[in-house]
Amino acid sequence: MAAGWLRCAGQRCLWARLGPSLSVRHMVPMATTAKEEMFQFWEKNTKLNRPMSPHVSVYKWSLPMMMSITHRGTGVAMSLGISCFSLAALVLPEQFPYYLELVKSLSLGPVLIYSAKFALAFPLSYHTWNGIRHLVWDMGKGFKMLQVYQSGVLVLALTLLSSAGLAAM
Amino acid sequence: TCITYSWFCFTVLQSKILLTRPIVASPITFDRLTLTRQIHTPPDTDAPSKAASLHWISERVVSVILLGLFPAAYVYPGPVVDYSLALILTLHGHWGLYQVITDYVHGEASVIVAKGFLHVLSAMTFTGLCYFNYTNVGICKAVAMLWSL
Repeated sequence: MAAGWLRCAGQRCLWARLGPSLSVRHMVPMATTAKEEMFQFWEKNTKLNRPMSPHVSVYKWSLPMMMSITHRGTGVAMSLGISCFSLAALVLPEQFPYYLELVKSLSLGPVLIYSAKFALAFPLSYHTWNGIRHLVWDMGKGFKMLQVYQSGVLVLALTLLSSAGLAAM
Repeated sequence: TCITYSWFCFTVLQSKILLTRPIVASPITFDRLTLTRQIHTPPDTDAPSKAASLHWISERVVSVILLGLFPAAYVYPGPVVDYSLALILTLHGHWGLYQVITDYVHGEASVIVAKGFLHVLSAMTFTGLCYFNYTNVGICKAVAMLWSL
């Protein structure tokens, strides 16, 4: 608020210095930072109770879109998984081998075990390969639409192969 | 801080006016575009903050380190890789979840609550992983044992 008051004072100072030869049309308000503008944008949105424009419900889904949200989804899922594991490590009384023996005693079929390993390996593989794709983008390469689709398909293929391979180990 | 920020803005604006002296000296050749360009730069261009850009670089560095830790865990399992994984995994996850909060959580109060919760979660995760490494078999060994099922 004080900044707003000073902004007005600053404007008047500016007018005085630049002289009467300039018309009022040429005056522009003092600069706002990107952060301030973002904050003002969201404040205005909430105040006016603006509805959000349809996006996921309206746009045709594309491979890059799906891969992007999957990258985020796998990341969040794994992060929460690690946090759960960590919490368990702090809370559970017995050592790790004890609980492993517990699972072993269930005598789960090999198909089930393979599926479980695949389910664990898949998000890790996907996030890793797509992560490398992101790092390539960060170097400024591979932004042409064809390249985006090609690298996307490559990531998917590598994910399936590595997940299958890891689950078999 | 509000007062000091206002004074800073005021003094910087003063110096900005002095810096725009060439424009002021010849008002006939003055044009709106130039003045707009001059004024619509952030007030602190004299001392730009590199925090965001350094953070971005750090995120990529951590990602690359994490990439390297996977083969390292396979080839040299042990306490060094265990504790490195604990640190790098937690950091990578923390920064990732932080971006998710920034994208989807809006409103001053919600943001503060969400970020606070995240900090607690990350602290707990790191503590738990280190505890596991110290008192239990360790991350590398645990994965190896799990996979031998």
